[in-house]
Amino acid sequence: MTMRTDTLPEAMTVSADEEPVSQRKGTRRKTLGKALLLPGQLISVFVLVVPLLVAFYMSFTDWSPTRGALTSARFIGLFNYEELLVYDTRFVEAVLRTLVFAAICLSLEFLIGLGLAVLFLRKFRGKAILFSMLLTPMMVLPVVVGYTFWMLFQSNGPINQLIELAFGAGASPDWFKSALLAQITVIVTEVWHWTPLFFLILLSGLNAVPENPIRAAVILGASPRQVFWRVVLPMLLPVIVIAFVIRAMEIIKLFDEVFMLTRGGPGSSTETISLYIYKLAFNDFQLAYGAAAAFLVLIGTLGLVHLLLTPVRNQLLEARN
Amino acid sequence: MTRHKLELIGLRKEYDDGNVVAVDGIDLAVESGETIALLGPSGCGKSTTLNMIVGLEEPTGGDIHIDGKSVVGRPPGKRNIGLVFQDYAVFTHMTVAKNLSFGLEVSGLPRSEINRRVGEAAELLGLTDLLQEKATRLGGSQLQRVAIGRTLVTKPAILLLDEPLSNLEAEARQAMRNELRRLQNEIGLTIVYVTHDQTEALSLANRIAVMSAGKIRQFDASGTVYNEPAHTFVASFLGSPAMNLVRGELRRDGQALAFKSGALTVPLPARFDAMAPADQAPVTLGIRPENLRIGQPGDSGLISTVSVVEPRGPEAALTVEAANTDFAVVVPSAARPEPGEEVSLQFPEDSLVLFSGETDRNLALPHNVEEAA
Repeated sequence: MTMRTDTLPEAMTVSADEEPVSQRKGTRRKTLGKALLLPGQLISVFVLVVPLLVAFYMSFTDWSPTRGALTSARFIGLFNYEELLVYDTRFVEAVLRTLVFAAICLSLEFLIGLGLAVLFLRKFRGKAILFSMLLTPMMVLPVVVGYTFWMLFQSNGPINQLIELAFGAGASPDWFKSALLAQITVIVTEVWHWTPLFFLILLSGLNAVPENPIRAAVILGASPRQVFWRVVLPMLLPVIVIAFVIRAMEIIKLFDEVFMLTRGGPGSSTETISLYIYKLAFNDFQLAYGAAAAFLVLIGTLGLVHLLLTPVRNQLLEARN
Repeated sequence: MTRHKLELIGLRKEYDDGNVVAVDGIDLAVESGETIALLGPSGCGKSTTLNMIVGLEEPTGGDIHIDGKSVVGRPPGKRNIGLVFQDYAVFTHMTVAKNLSFGLEVSGLPRSEINRRVGEAAELLGLTDLLQEKATRLGGSQLQRVAIGRTLVTKPAILLLDEPLSNLEAEARQAMRNELRRLQNEIGLTIVYVTHDQTEALSLANRIAVMSAGKIRQFDASGTVYNEPAHTFVASFLGSPAMNLVRGELRRDGQALAFKSGALTVPLPARFDAMAPADQAPVTLGIRPENLRIGQPGDSGLISTVSVVEPRGPEAALTVEAANTDFAVVVPSAARPEPGEEVSLQFPEDSLVLFSGETDRNLALPHNVEEAA
């Protein structure tokens, strides 16, 4: 009994004393944490925010590095923007071309990726090794992919050799001399490179589709086809949209592969918006004009992503409520 | 609505080339319009049985008959059996109306007929006001009604319900229990419940099939299953606390018959004489906790000590130690003793049940031995 009466108040005083100490410690730790975060924050402000603001200001001027400092450049208001949207057909064409490329590539990537993902729901020999192989393209640098396909599509390259082997001498086309064929090389390269991403996202989505609604549909008499179209695919929709959003943001920036394959040619038949902006800035030194174009693309991308997310926004945001 | 009969004949399911037997040759005949419960702990094979009836799994032996015709080998959608899942498995991307019409749309019924039947089902289940709601907006009991309605519109011969109440909260559970009973009366379907919850089984089913280790241990009216368990498993699975079971042996001393287990001796009534096996045969004595009586220390009965008292509102569950054996006893709260108190424990003769020590079967029900063996 004496032991208890002795130790109890002692324990209480200790804990009563300790509370403010630990609180002080907490505040000190928080301050320290903020201080340690500061350099990183400052760096990102300088690396990201400052250039963005500079470029934004630049887009309202007629600055070019050949004409001296940015501060001496003339402020011309929305002139660059007006020029781009109203008079620069090459810009508008590049935008439309990028969108068409995006639509074709994403559709193909989605369809092939979905087909592969559905195939991978089954058991078959060599599934694990095939899985790794199918994901490999995604891990290759875009520049390397572009260069590789540039080699493959050479007039005396492996693809043409195969075509001649199959259809006889003279049957092979010159891929980079025709607008349509050049566009096809870009699409083939892009689809080869990024279908794995669709495949991966859709496969994990399919695996996450709950089993019981599928079983319920089967018991209610739905055929496998009906189960897929009416139950599985709608439940997969949020995942599909996410895959499209991720890829759409990437493909609007399509640059490396096209640069390596065609440099935008022949003519401007494969010129994407990124490639056009690159040429404006680094071939023609119209940095201010290019900055304006880049901002227009940014706004357009934001709008596009917003639009793409519309059908599933509620589903994504309310899933857990 | 026409009523249908379901029969399981020697139904068997083995996995892993016969190394795992999930369902070990069960026989079950569900009369048309009857509601039965498949009751058992998880892993006893009841869900496998359900999956085989509906066609999600094919049996490795035996047969399933609906109205005398085998349905084995028919795909799940062609058996005319409805299944309501424990998690409801409602199509969350559809409205309530779309959920209800799904089974009819995939079978290509004309729109007018679909609308008529969906309207009927919605009315029957009180879903009319919710028809245009997205399924994601519904609560547990509403989802369950959608799941039931979605099945009912296809007019199944047999309705299977997998743990229909276990995902609901206590309040909704009582309401749904009443709702299911009403549906049962109104449409007179043949219904098979699967459940591990004895209250659910006892309150909803006409008859209960108690399963363990892939076998049906007893298939009887709910009262019979409770009062006259055919197997020690049934005795120990039903009731809360479960029936007291004491392993021991039978003693014959001239005319007198007694159960003996260590220091414990319980005199047995004459009715056991005819069926009881020979002297010193191993037997298990069973008695329900609510049938044990406690009296003052001076009364007749075993002198024993109350070790645990667990109040449960109107009643109290006691653990009473007598002759080195713990007994569960349920008494009215007003009459509950204190822990440590000494009492006398009485075994009313009428409530005693005797099981064979070898087969675990109730010795008073010899016919059940053949039936379930």
